[in-house]
Amino acid sequence: MPEVWGLATIAAKFALYVGVLSAAGTVFVAQIFKLTPYRASALFFASLGLVASLLVFSLGGAILTGDAGGMIDPEMLGLLWSTPVGTALIYRVVGLGLLITGVFMGHVGLFISVLGGSIAICSFSYVGHIADHNSALLSFVLAIHLIAIAFWIGILTPLKRLASNAETRPKAAEIGHQFGIIASITVPLLILAGGYMGYVLLGSLSALIGTGYGQALILKVILVVVLLALAAANKLRFIPALKAGDREAAASLIRSISLEWSAILGILAITAILTSTLTLP
Amino acid sequence: MKVLFLAGVIGISATTAMAHSPLKATTPADGAKVEQTPEELSFDFKGKIRLTRVTVTVADDTDIDLDLSGHKKFATDYALPIEDMGSGVYEVEWRGLGTDGHAQKGTFNFTVE
Repeated sequence: MPEVWGLATIAAKFALYVGVLSAAGTVFVAQIFKLTPYRASALFFASLGLVASLLVFSLGGAILTGDAGGMIDPEMLGLLWSTPVGTALIYRVVGLGLLITGVFMGHVGLFISVLGGSIAICSFSYVGHIADHNSALLSFVLAIHLIAIAFWIGILTPLKRLASNAETRPKAAEIGHQFGIIASITVPLLILAGGYMGYVLLGSLSALIGTGYGQALILKVILVVVLLALAAANKLRFIPALKAGDREAAASLIRSISLEWSAILGILAITAILTSTLTLP
Repeated sequence: MKVLFLAGVIGISATTAMAHSPLKATTPADGAKVEQTPEELSFDFKGKIRLTRVTVTVADDTDIDLDLSGHKKFATDYALPIEDMGSGVYEVEWRGLGTDGHAQKGTFNFTVE
């Protein structure tokens, strides 16, 4: 069982993943589909990501000393700062800072927010099991994987909001249809990237089945399959029905989106465990 | 789905393996029995690490932090002076940071007869 600082790090990383990916996804989707309002949501998730970034960094100090004092120990924090952990923090603070700055600017602000979200996502290429491989290709694949996930997360809340109101349901159907077209490219990329990274990290079927890391990955894949099934139901049933004016379809779509959120939160929670406590075989 | 998720997380937690030890060897070795307390503890790591805390506990009630003030750089070998804490099982817990930013920790023990 991980010690308290390990458990706190899992919780903070979970908040970090939710914050960064949701903030980036919100501005990506706002840019692509010209959706408003997006500012409150982007601001909330970027702030969450920023606080979680600092907390993850600070908890690193506590893990090094084994007590709360490590969280503010200048020597420990300075030591972390000198490693890729410090580089990742810079990317997150700069990226999320730009994203938040963009939210308060005019029309050009959305572009700045998109740039900031992309920078924050790139931070994940500097630390963790993928970064340990020192491979530019793997880092690129991870970035593609995360951008595709952020894009998926970003559509959920606006689509749910549009489907909840009778007046905006036609727009929900249109946005859902357009998202489905783009997702037919991004989702296969997401799966291919995830599969490739899983293969590189584990390397064998026995490692997948026989280790804690592999078992966590299997659980993650099960939730991804659930997510894909929900997305397929949206694309093939609920969105076409909504387009045809079926009122029941809106309720089904809203329910499906809520389930998608649950699956995504489960996937991010498992990822936080994978990157915090489980070691590669 | 919640039940499945919880069951999975509990199952994974139960099978969480300890990290592959980044240590090549220690002196005294893990599980060794010695006649008197050694003057120093030696750590030989596989890769460079910066030790951040080393605690020695004897008989579950006396623990001391070893002095790391002379070790401010990443290194593979450490030799840390240790005081005589009498006979018993010496539990050593160490923590450190790898150059890649990964926090590492481990334990080993030896017995002073």
